[in-house]
Amino acid sequence: MLLAAFTPSEPLTLGVELELQIVSNHDFDLSPQANDLLRFLEKHPGAWDVKPEITRSMIEVSSSVQREYAPLRAELSDLREKLSQAARRLNIGIAGGGTHAYQHWSDQQIFPTERFEYLNDLYGYLAKQFTVFGQHVHVGCEDGDKALWLLHALSRYVPHFIALSASSPFVQGVDTGFDSARLNSVFAFPLSGRAPFVHSWEEFGQYFGKMASTGVVKSMKDFYWDIRPKPEFGTIELRVCDTPLTVDKAAALACYLQCLCSYLRNEQPFEPADDDYLVYTFNRFQACRFGLDGEIVDPKTKQRSKLRDDIVRTLAHIDEHALDLKALDANNLLRDSLFEGNDATWLRKQRARGLPLSAVVEGATARWMG
Amino acid sequence: MSTAVDTWLSPASAPPVVPWSLDVLRGADPVLGFAVVLLLAVVLGEVLHRRLNLPRMVGHMVTGALASPLAFRLLERTDLDPWKPLIDLAIGVLVFELGSRIRPRWLLDNPWLALTCVLEGAFAGICVTLVLYMMGLPVVSATLAGAVAMSTSPVITLGLVHEIRPRGQVAERLLITTAMNCVLTMVAIKAWRVLSVADAPTWSDELFHAGVGAVSVVSGSLLLGGAAGWLLAKLSEAIRGAAAAPVLQIAVVILAAMLASQWKLSPLLALLVAGMTARHKIGHMLTVEPHLGSAGAALSVMLFISLGMLFTVDGVITLWPWALGLVFARFAGKAFAVALLARPSGLSTRQAFAMIVALQPMSSLAVLLTADTLGWSAELPGIESRVLQSLLIATTLMHIVGPVLAQWALKSLADECPHANVKEP
Repeated sequence: MLLAAFTPSEPLTLGVELELQIVSNHDFDLSPQANDLLRFLEKHPGAWDVKPEITRSMIEVSSSVQREYAPLRAELSDLREKLSQAARRLNIGIAGGGTHAYQHWSDQQIFPTERFEYLNDLYGYLAKQFTVFGQHVHVGCEDGDKALWLLHALSRYVPHFIALSASSPFVQGVDTGFDSARLNSVFAFPLSGRAPFVHSWEEFGQYFGKMASTGVVKSMKDFYWDIRPKPEFGTIELRVCDTPLTVDKAAALACYLQCLCSYLRNEQPFEPADDDYLVYTFNRFQACRFGLDGEIVDPKTKQRSKLRDDIVRTLAHIDEHALDLKALDANNLLRDSLFEGNDATWLRKQRARGLPLSAVVEGATARWMG
Repeated sequence: MSTAVDTWLSPASAPPVVPWSLDVLRGADPVLGFAVVLLLAVVLGEVLHRRLNLPRMVGHMVTGALASPLAFRLLERTDLDPWKPLIDLAIGVLVFELGSRIRPRWLLDNPWLALTCVLEGAFAGICVTLVLYMMGLPVVSATLAGAVAMSTSPVITLGLVHEIRPRGQVAERLLITTAMNCVLTMVAIKAWRVLSVADAPTWSDELFHAGVGAVSVVSGSLLLGGAAGWLLAKLSEAIRGAAAAPVLQIAVVILAAMLASQWKLSPLLALLVAGMTARHKIGHMLTVEPHLGSAGAALSVMLFISLGMLFTVDGVITLWPWALGLVFARFAGKAFAVALLARPSGLSTRQAFAMIVALQPMSSLAVLLTADTLGWSAELPGIESRVLQSLLIATTLMHIVGPVLAQWALKSLADECPHANVKEP
């Protein structure tokens, strides 16, 4: 099986996908009502899209192709408004957050499509345990070689996105101690982790061909990498973010990625190397476990620093690009969040007030729906 | 003593006594008899559930029917009297829980749903009234039958929700529609009482008093329910702890029901509002366990046995056309309203059909809906005996068939029971 050709797209264009929780307004546990929501939204006038996810308590929304923060934020706000209206008519809530705090995986029902049924057959209970909610951000690239270069260059910044977006401290009713426990679910999949270190689209095609010949993969969708190329869109897709609790933060994270890509492409501050991945798993773990308080080891200098400080320094480096891309507001939002704490901190604060987890989910629902 | 010894030594000389004959059982203490029936009901409920996949409540009601004068006459209906306060409590607990499960704000968020709730009851009432009138019954009696037929049984609905734990649109709508049509039925019966005095000699005075009475009952019940919910919220704040919660809730349910009864208000409305108010005030700290815990579950079984004991088929040979006419007219009325508003309110065709079927269990009129109190001794004033008996026969039929239909609707049609296909150990 051959890999599809890389469709060229306008560099630095953005697309955002958000996986969202559908909860009951009675007990705020997950509720399998994706079909009902989709029925209400099938004729929405927006350019955004809405579609089912692997289990019936999830829904995925995606923006149209965007270039700047303000229109992206406006589109996501419109999407949130329409989704919330439909949800209120169905007496359900929509929430962000990387995990639902106390849903039980065995209660989840697979959404009846051919692909989801295939995944359920293949992965067994892992498929239902995959009821976790992420934000994926696509960035446009002009060709496959550039896409792969950017993919590997970005690997150094993957912990930033994990820590900034982390919103999944609770799993199955307990505080896991992780800021992003969602990624532990993703790690259970055999083809998760990071993409192989290859430089050109041709080499990548050869790798894909070998994998396909083993029968292990059938399409790019079978790779659950943290960042993966999406040749049919002409993008690379960052998949490590938890779905934030607000659309503003979702838009800001997307634009942070856009600015980083602009910085990397234009200034080329370093050349990605296979050895960069020596610290990748450590850095990733630190971000998942401790969030912004975690540590990061610079793959080039081997210097260890606080993740929060590393993000502050990076934001300073990319401010010029943010100005060009009209994304300063996005970066300022993230800068503020460094000191207020990420969404995992917010969720834990609710719990610390003595609220039951159902009230924590209700709070998250109120934040997302506005 | 000597008689006992004689009997022991020469049993042949004693009259033949079979210890477990029906006659001996009939002569037993009614309380003891009811306890034995309770045991049998649990067993039969479980057997029917495992063998035929029927809701357990069907087994409980069938046991009651078998023990009643309808079959073996092990218990007379008057034998239920010592258990009446407990059974009243079981109804109260279920109604309170129903109130705590629904969110009235939904009716504002989805006006088409609010309209469905009103119209499905109204159309059912109108269809039943028209059909019975066309079948030759007096309009006054036909109207009352129509009012009674509006409602869906909250007891069966909630019992089924406890048992099969559905999650989805149909289940949520079934709960709110059941609550709404119970209230509408109560209001309709109050209105019927107002209208039924229209022929009285002192028409204007009677009408005025009846009107004032109806308004005061509804507003008084709302106030009482609100106050009971508020009281529960305040007490729950002061006394925290999972163990105390069901006790507080039961105490408030009894208090609200007793006061409603004494003040001639509607316990049904008061307890529904108490549940809603408590949920609104306490939010997530209000944990209403199904039946308010395990003791409440026993009360529910007793309630279903009692419903079974009220089953009747007297006069079915002559009254069956009216009973069937009532059942089909009620079905048609509910079906028309739900189908008409399904799309704008957000239901698929399949879900709408499931909703129509799930709404079919009729409420036990003698227990709940026609009475101001939770007692079942209330009579329907002025109703013709043929209409009352037809209503009772229709209710009997829908108590047996209704839970089976509703279970099928929620499990198979609406596909809202993820645990439905899980084999129990």
